[in-house]
Amino acid sequence: MPKGEAMLLEMRNIRKSFSGVEVLRGVDFSLKPGEIHALVGHNGAGKSTLMKVLGGNYADYEGEISLHGDKIRLLSPRKAIDRGIAIIYQDFSLVPDLSVAHNIALGREPRGRLRGTIGHAILRRRSAKEAERLGIRLPMDASVRSLGVGTQQLTEIVRACSREVRVLVMDEPTARLAPAERELLFSTMRRMADEQGVGIVYISHFLDEVCDLSDRITVMRDGLVVATRPGADYTLDTLAELLVGHEITGREASRAAAPTSDASEALGATQLSVADRPPLDLAVAKGQIVGLAGLVGSGRTRLARALIGDVKADGEIRVGGRRVAHVDPERATKAGLSMVPEDRKTLGLALGATVEANIVVSALGKLLSVLGFVKPGSRPRLAEEMIERFVIRPPDRRKIVGNLSGGNAQKVLLARALGSRPVAMILDQPTAGVDIGAKVELHNQILAAAKEGAGIVVISDDLDELLDLSDQVLVMNGGRLTGSYARSDLTRASLLAAISRS
Amino acid sequence: MTTSNDTATDRVTSRHGWQWSSLAAYALPIIFVLLLIIFSLAVPYFATWANFGNVLQRNSIIGIVACGMLLMIITGGFDLSVGAVGAMSSVVAAVVIVQFSMPLGILTALALGLLVGAANGFFIAKIGISPFVTTLATQVLVTGFLFVGTSAQPVYGVPESFTVLGLGRVGPVPIPTIIFAAVALITWGILRFTTLGHYIYIVGGNKAAARLAGINVERVLMTTYALGGFFAAVAGIVLLGQTNIGQPASATDWPLTAIAAVVVGGVPLSGGVGQVWSAVLGTLLLGIIANALNLLGVSPFWQPAVTGAVILVAVGLDSYQRKQRERR
Repeated sequence: MPKGEAMLLEMRNIRKSFSGVEVLRGVDFSLKPGEIHALVGHNGAGKSTLMKVLGGNYADYEGEISLHGDKIRLLSPRKAIDRGIAIIYQDFSLVPDLSVAHNIALGREPRGRLRGTIGHAILRRRSAKEAERLGIRLPMDASVRSLGVGTQQLTEIVRACSREVRVLVMDEPTARLAPAERELLFSTMRRMADEQGVGIVYISHFLDEVCDLSDRITVMRDGLVVATRPGADYTLDTLAELLVGHEITGREASRAAAPTSDASEALGATQLSVADRPPLDLAVAKGQIVGLAGLVGSGRTRLARALIGDVKADGEIRVGGRRVAHVDPERATKAGLSMVPEDRKTLGLALGATVEANIVVSALGKLLSVLGFVKPGSRPRLAEEMIERFVIRPPDRRKIVGNLSGGNAQKVLLARALGSRPVAMILDQPTAGVDIGAKVELHNQILAAAKEGAGIVVISDDLDELLDLSDQVLVMNGGRLTGSYARSDLTRASLLAAISRS
Repeated sequence: MTTSNDTATDRVTSRHGWQWSSLAAYALPIIFVLLLIIFSLAVPYFATWANFGNVLQRNSIIGIVACGMLLMIITGGFDLSVGAVGAMSSVVAAVVIVQFSMPLGILTALALGLLVGAANGFFIAKIGISPFVTTLATQVLVTGFLFVGTSAQPVYGVPESFTVLGLGRVGPVPIPTIIFAAVALITWGILRFTTLGHYIYIVGGNKAAARLAGINVERVLMTTYALGGFFAAVAGIVLLGQTNIGQPASATDWPLTAIAAVVVGGVPLSGGVGQVWSAVLGTLLLGIIANALNLLGVSPFWQPAVTGAVILVAVGLDSYQRKQRERR
């Protein structure tokens, strides 16, 4: 490193495998005192695993870690904390109904006059002092539940830094913050680095933010470090290229051109405003696939749930060109809109029920029953048809869905959506966590459904999936549509750059 | 490659799954038959038609309640107010029969049962109170009204002919048992042939998923609780037929006994699964055990203790097996 500056932290040749699969393949990483060092990379690049090694979560890593020049082994979270390494994970670990002061002191409450009691006054004073030391102002007596996400984040930082902290790791701290809260967080980070010499590792998907803030940036891909350079050496575009890898030229458009413009509308929204977000318009033609790209928390799932009426929204929603009044999931489904929710376990399937029961649910009221009675034999018929069409394994309609593999469970979910012969479908992460074979089959079915005339919205974090399926890609950010691209105008890198602007 | 691998593993798990689930599915009938044989050999007078008729006669009321309870348990809830609704039904029927006429009495009682059940469903589905709290409150509320309305005095004066409903027989079969069979058949039909029945399973299996799949979860819950209240009212009328007295303090043990019958039948309280025969067999199992103890001259004070032990053993076996399976 330049000037031979003393390193605060050095990690050398770090390797870590999960059941035989090497996730970190010899990673070097270093941190200077008072430095903000950004760590960027795709989902699965190994950033979080690397930071978990640093946090002492994996005792079986290989490689060498030294702190202030002392070689150390980080075998437990306790050891890492004792060494002054603090990690703030994406999901906060605060107790919502305790006050800010109590959360800061959690686990190290001062003793009161009697053994087994807490000295609340001492606790409050101490917590306030700890916040002040970092230059953070917090409402000490407010319950954490009543605070905004930004203030919760700051509470978490004060708590993490209440012990002697030399290395602070923040995993996507800004994903859920409003712009003003972001600025506050950044200035706090800067001050901690400059005034107290804390080394900060900062994981983020917002590339522009990373470029502005960081002293150095390390790019990871496939378990390896691709580059570590001063922040000023990067531009948004060079960073996006490094993230994506060699493949910068756009892929060949993998599907036929979009349907003609006179195709009628399958799904539409006008002046749809979700929560307090600005209103947006959306139109999906019959036979068209529209990709919805964006970072986690950009509002894509919320928009999807608003379209099907699961969350409240103002504005007009049309299915098959007809307005759906007072939209709720039942009315939307009746009108011809089906949804494959993002989390198949909690939102998608009745895991204890059979494949058949799950497949027929959406079609039951509409196609398979008369006056509340199910048409005899119609249930197994639809189930068998879908099992064959989707190649669901094992091909047994009586199988309990909870026992299926992820790919087959996902096929059941898509089969359910298609079984009601929808005019339009919303697919939220339709291939998340499925193997490559199932993914190909799911993609084929999605393309086939579009060919049969359904208008489809696909939400995905997988850029290749969006590029493979979509005729058009919309980019969301902060609850707004911030871009619209025809498939032919996009490359992987340009799409990544488009979604990574905060 | 991946696909063939997938298929192979699935085939293995499906074979194991089949073995376990088939064993689990038949455990209760096997236990039931074994107990029948043991009691027949060991307990004097047990294996007589008269005694069987007696067992059926005594347990049909709980069986009727258990059918409604089953529906509510499949949705992931249950109903603690069925006892209060039963007592209300028998008292109201008695009053109206004495004052006006028999058909009007029965109709009024049934309508009130339906109403209280629908109210339970309303508070659970629309307002969002948990089934435990909702039905605990309505149970106390209904009982309270009943005591106020009757000054806690029994209602006499129901004509003797009404006892046909509770004590009469068609050939060797008690009329309450025929009503029980009819209720069980209706419950079976609802679960098997109607969209409501199919939705009940999905709602119990995963409410969020059911909603996003386009099911009107609130309507399903309200209808289910209304049916539960209706069946409890039917049971209350049969009770009036047995005692001929509208007794406001009666039926307090129904909720827990009915829940016990359903869970002994192998239906988990977590919802999403369950069949009518579970409720029927669970009811009869508890019935024959009580009957055998009775015939053996064991003090009736022992009966609750035995019932408790049976619940722990039967449900314990089932749950433990499930836990083992999940761990693999």
